[in-house]
Amino acid sequence: MKKISIICFIIAASTIARAQDFNKNIADARSSYSSGNLEAARFAMQQMLTDLDMAIGREVLKMLPEKMGALASNSANDNVTSNTGLAGVIIHRDYGAGNKAYNLDLMGNSPLVASINAILSIPFMGNSGDGTQKIIRVEGYKAMLQKSVDETTKQTDYTLQVPIGSTLLTFTAPNTTEEEMVKMANTIPLSRITKMIQ
Amino acid sequence: MKMKIVLACLVTALFAFQADGQGFVNKLKQKADEAASKALEKKAKEKVGINDDDNNQTPDASGSPSENASQNRNRPTNKGGGGLVATPPDVNQNLSDAETSYKAGSYGEARYAVQQAMLGVEMQIGQKVLESMPASVSGLDKVGEADQVTSSGYGWAGLTIHREYLKGDKQLTTTVANNSAMMTAVNMYLANGGYAQTTNGEQNWKQTKVKGHKAIIEYDDSSGYKLTVPLGQTSLIMWEGVNFTSEQDIMAAANSFDIDGIKKMLGEK
Repeated sequence: MKKISIICFIIAASTIARAQDFNKNIADARSSYSSGNLEAARFAMQQMLTDLDMAIGREVLKMLPEKMGALASNSANDNVTSNTGLAGVIIHRDYGAGNKAYNLDLMGNSPLVASINAILSIPFMGNSGDGTQKIIRVEGYKAMLQKSVDETTKQTDYTLQVPIGSTLLTFTAPNTTEEEMVKMANTIPLSRITKMIQ
Repeated sequence: MKMKIVLACLVTALFAFQADGQGFVNKLKQKADEAASKALEKKAKEKVGINDDDNNQTPDASGSPSENASQNRNRPTNKGGGGLVATPPDVNQNLSDAETSYKAGSYGEARYAVQQAMLGVEMQIGQKVLESMPASVSGLDKVGEADQVTSSGYGWAGLTIHREYLKGDKQLTTTVANNSAMMTAVNMYLANGGYAQTTNGEQNWKQTKVKGHKAIIEYDDSSGYKLTVPLGQTSLIMWEGVNFTSEQDIMAAANSFDIDGIKKMLGEK
């Protein structure tokens, strides 16, 4: 009970600290702008964008499922990286361990989005004859599912890629079946994530 | 035998009639299509207020109106609409919107408002940089309508400021780029300058200094001179001179710019 209280206190304290960052940066932006220091105002705004990316990332992590199939999430590995750069915000969560570890990543401004969207929009390109690639729908969103089979171990790994605007969601699951993969993918709340990141 | 001949004649007549009949039906269909498209065309013209007087004067060789001509007549051409008002976003208003959205937990909306505010600030920075540039350089006057400030409001994609000077066939183009991806290439040039200069057979570029700032000058017979000065960590200023007589000529033009002032305005150290 005492431990839970401490964790709750730490989370609340960190949330307040982050809100303070945003409030401090917006105050800096306002005062710099009104005093004509445009570059300082611009810098404060860049910081605000970072604050917002981090806030968005944390909210998305809260939405992601705690379990994928039988595997529990490793909350210690939850990560949000905000870049005021080309890559945009990167959100990461993983499940399980060892050779049965699933990875779920969201990458803002992903350079892969354009090519995946092209594949999704051309019907005969999306589905390969050998069954290694197919287009599926997850919560109504078009997604690309890829299968790879290890020659020696015959282990089947799957990768699911869902473009959401300029963000790419990638879910990789080794040693699983297509049915299980689709079932797990459908537990990802794509609509809510879309609403939050756009 | 007689019977066979009669049968053959009958079959031939039947086919002939059928073929003729099909041709007749096709012609009828074609006429009906033409009439329908004419009627639609007329209705459309009445709606947009186009005079139909010259409609019957442009038949093609077959006597029916030219298809291309009728398609072109259906598409009105724009005669001007005043364009878009180039008003930069209201910075204070967008900051207030960002604060409200943030408090309401609408982070996506808050992000959009901050980007708009940033766009507004960047446009103002750009205008200030343009104001600091000379009105004429080496006898060339600025081309006012070519002044341009481009910003994406993302912070990383860059703020670009553009000015042109022109007299006769001599032209100077100035570009200031902030948070520019071009910086990587320029810094690579400067870092590996010694090596490239010794291996280059023909001297098309070299390192130099403009008002104490390290720079790269390039020359190409078709495009002329290009002088690039990195400003601080993420910005650069670049001059492109067409029909400049010599290296000294373009260097003198670059020296008439307040490089330190521009660097300061961009917040570079």
